[in-house]
Amino acid sequence: MKKLTSREDLERLREKLKREAEQVKRWVAVCSGPGCHVHGSGEVAEAFAKEVSEQGLEKEVKVIATGCHGFCEVGPVAVIFPERYCYTRIKAEDVSEIVSETLKDGKVVERLLYTDEASGQKILRDEDIPYYKFQQRLLLGQHLHIDPRNIGDYIAAGGYSALAKALFDLGPEKVLEEVKAANLRGRGGGGFPAGIKWETTRNAPGDPKYVIVNADEGDPGAYMDRGILEGNPHSVLEGLIIGAIAIGSPQGFVYVRQEYPIAVKNMQRAIDQARELGLLGENILGSDFSFDVKIHMGAGAFVSGESSALMTAIEGRVGEPRPKYIRTAVKGVWNKPSNLNNVETWANVPLIINNGADWYTNIGTDKSKGTKIFSLVGKVRNTGLVEVPMGVSLRRIIFDIGGGIRGNKKFKAVQTGGPSGGVIPESLLEIPVDYDELDKVGSMMGSGGMIVMDEDTCMVDVARYYINFLSDESCGKCVPCREGLRQALRILENICAGRGKEGDIELLEELGSFMKDASLCALGQTAANPVLSTIKYFRGEYEAHILEKKCPAKVCKELISFFIDPEKCKACGMCVKVCPVDAISGGKGLVHIIDQEKCVKCGSCFTVCPDKFNAVIKLSGEPVPEVAPGTKIKKKAKGEKKCKK
Amino acid sequence: MLKELQEASQMSQTDVLLKGLEVLGDYVAAESGESSLGEKLRELERVALQHAEEIRKIRKKEDVIRELVKELKDVDKIIDRHNCDPSALIQILLEIQAEKRWLSKPTLMWVAERLGVPLSRVMHIATFYKAFSLEPHGRHLVQVCLGTACHVRGAQQLLNKVTMALGIKPGETDSDMKFTFKTVNCLGCCALGPVVMIDEKYYSDPSVDEIKKISEDLE
Ligand SMILES: Cc1cc2nc3c(=O)[nH]c(=O)nc-3n(C[C@H](O)[C@H](O)[C@H](O)COP(=O)(O)O)c2cc1C
Repeated sequence: MKKLTSREDLERLREKLKREAEQVKRWVAVCSGPGCHVHGSGEVAEAFAKEVSEQGLEKEVKVIATGCHGFCEVGPVAVIFPERYCYTRIKAEDVSEIVSETLKDGKVVERLLYTDEASGQKILRDEDIPYYKFQQRLLLGQHLHIDPRNIGDYIAAGGYSALAKALFDLGPEKVLEEVKAANLRGRGGGGFPAGIKWETTRNAPGDPKYVIVNADEGDPGAYMDRGILEGNPHSVLEGLIIGAIAIGSPQGFVYVRQEYPIAVKNMQRAIDQARELGLLGENILGSDFSFDVKIHMGAGAFVSGESSALMTAIEGRVGEPRPKYIRTAVKGVWNKPSNLNNVETWANVPLIINNGADWYTNIGTDKSKGTKIFSLVGKVRNTGLVEVPMGVSLRRIIFDIGGGIRGNKKFKAVQTGGPSGGVIPESLLEIPVDYDELDKVGSMMGSGGMIVMDEDTCMVDVARYYINFLSDESCGKCVPCREGLRQALRILENICAGRGKEGDIELLEELGSFMKDASLCALGQTAANPVLSTIKYFRGEYEAHILEKKCPAKVCKELISFFIDPEKCKACGMCVKVCPVDAISGGKGLVHIIDQEKCVKCGSCFTVCPDKFNAVIKLSGEPVPEVAPGTKIKKKAKGEKKCKK
Repeated sequence: MLKELQEASQMSQTDVLLKGLEVLGDYVAAESGESSLGEKLRELERVALQHAEEIRKIRKKEDVIRELVKELKDVDKIIDRHNCDPSALIQILLEIQAEKRWLSKPTLMWVAERLGVPLSRVMHIATFYKAFSLEPHGRHLVQVCLGTACHVRGAQQLLNKVTMALGIKPGETDSDMKFTFKTVNCLGCCALGPVVMIDEKYYSDPSVDEIKKISEDLE
């Protein structure tokens, strides 16, 4: 494509691309996000391309492999436009029928539609599926129209118009005013107002100034940023260029973790394409503004996502935090003023510039504006990425959108904010999700991980999990974090192993408050949150572990035993077969018995015992009953079979 | 004469010598029956073999050096792509890791030398980040996800099952260099959890037998 040297060039290109798009009668957006990819969307997209060409439909039908649509649970997903018919759990074998029926003739393939669990009805359009109905997909919704490898799709969908507006209509001061007025708050964890940070960097002495995208996404169990970078890299890039205009920066960086190879690739391609079109580089769109971007890959360290650590890493040194007597906004990369924002924060910028701060502040709550993407995972029925306006309740997200808990279990808690956040119990499910409300209850918004837990989740184990993670990821530079985490981990491990002592809970609380006050960076300062919040809401569970040597959720390995109920065992032999250590004995017609000495508590027998028997049970805090070897199984009472039919 | 023979037969000097001794030995044993000469020859043969062994060792050393030079040349290409820029240190190590699947000691020393940064800083980075491996990896990579979503769905049990099926612990490589077994903090496919990734493929909560089968089917 030819270099664009004016705003008019860009608009002409957009018109041309739109006209081309109108030639197409129908198009299918095949989700190729992380969830669908794992479910085999690659083969599905290939099958679509092949089938369309075999049926000779290339002129009237277009296939695009898009970024994440959100509903990972039922992937691979495809949406067919303009009708918005949504097919779920597609296999490559289904594609030929979809092409000949729907893409060619607009007829629906019933069996591939989503079935609503409550009503049992098939749902035609994606927007009517409960999972999507309660969302407001300002960012994720764009994914359905864009092949992330094609800048043309982004431009046709209105892309880079905000950049042109910022360059030619607004200018740096007004861009800054708009972002400040929109009260855009950082999506990476802290929720600091982006406009204020931009202004600090803009006014700080020293040149050049840098703008940086934080795509380190180290929170385990969260993939919002990956979803955006893979699905719509240009939205982040456009936001970054606009930020550079406001701040007066000639050079940007995208810090992205190497564990996300597709995100790295798509972002690099986006940068190259934008540069080729004159949207990056010297004299952007013919203006006197010049700006370029470089990708820097992170090598796998949670703490390197912290702002001062990240900037040290960009300099090519180990990504460890430093004391922030002077903020990175003033002295960052190579001691120059540097503004760092999260992927999602940047992606919101073009929306604000295009639609204005007034429009933006209409969405959300008093102090938290716009939408937020969450990765809804864990024991929830519908796993996926969810984008909702700030202020909706946790209940709406988990139950109306997420469909509640899997497998008829009971909800126990939801964890937000990743390793820096905390758990929230059922009694607080009505609170509106915004920065301040989550802080109030001892958790935090964080970057958007939302891990749903059911009655089978042990809260002490959850605390141990996070502390183990953090202790592994602590850089070790400051003593409170390094040693505090090590001691906390030891105490938690003891409690989980049945070696907890009275006073351990109080000791954990004391350690926690000390780490909060004395640690160098936010990793240590917030590290106690998972412990303190689980103690706050589930103290009883800690006490059961310590005093009764019992794990109420039956998770902690050292505190549970597996037992086969002689009343229920039907001697099917499934458990005998899977036991990796041959700890289960019992022949035909005989009750199977687990040798507690040999058992390694892997849980394989528990998993394979057929649901209709449910003979393998977990015990905790009580002795394992003796069953004599050679005990015969209970036969069905006479007539039982007949009645059951 | 040796040289001529060597050229004519395309054999190495040692091999020619050994061949000659072999022929002589056969001749002596068959014809003369004189034992002292035979013994002398056998003695000579032993010494020659020893020499050959030494030479072979040297040759191995030569090979090693040749391999090393090749490795460092590849590393050079990567360093040159980044214009020898010390601020690109992490990026350079990542690219070497991706190409070689590990960072050898000579590589690390070479990178430090060429970029003009202290070896301690290179080592600091190479040991700080999870992406780097200071030991060679097996042919296949097995990664169990320990993300929070997988954790609450039983990642620990899956970890035990994989340990049992492969016979190695997380962080280890088996003696045949077939598998390297690692844990990762999140693979970003929470809908499938708990999940193990074997090379490029994801498996949702497989049983011990299934993992064994998958691993046996791999080369
Ligand atoms: C230990 C630690 C890890 C962090 N990891 C990330 C991360 O992976 N992604 C991110 O955007 N912010 C992360 N942050 C927050 C950043 O320090 C910083 O606040 C953020 O990137 C600023 O962008 P925002 O204002 O747009 O949220 C982390 C902070 C800490 C203390």
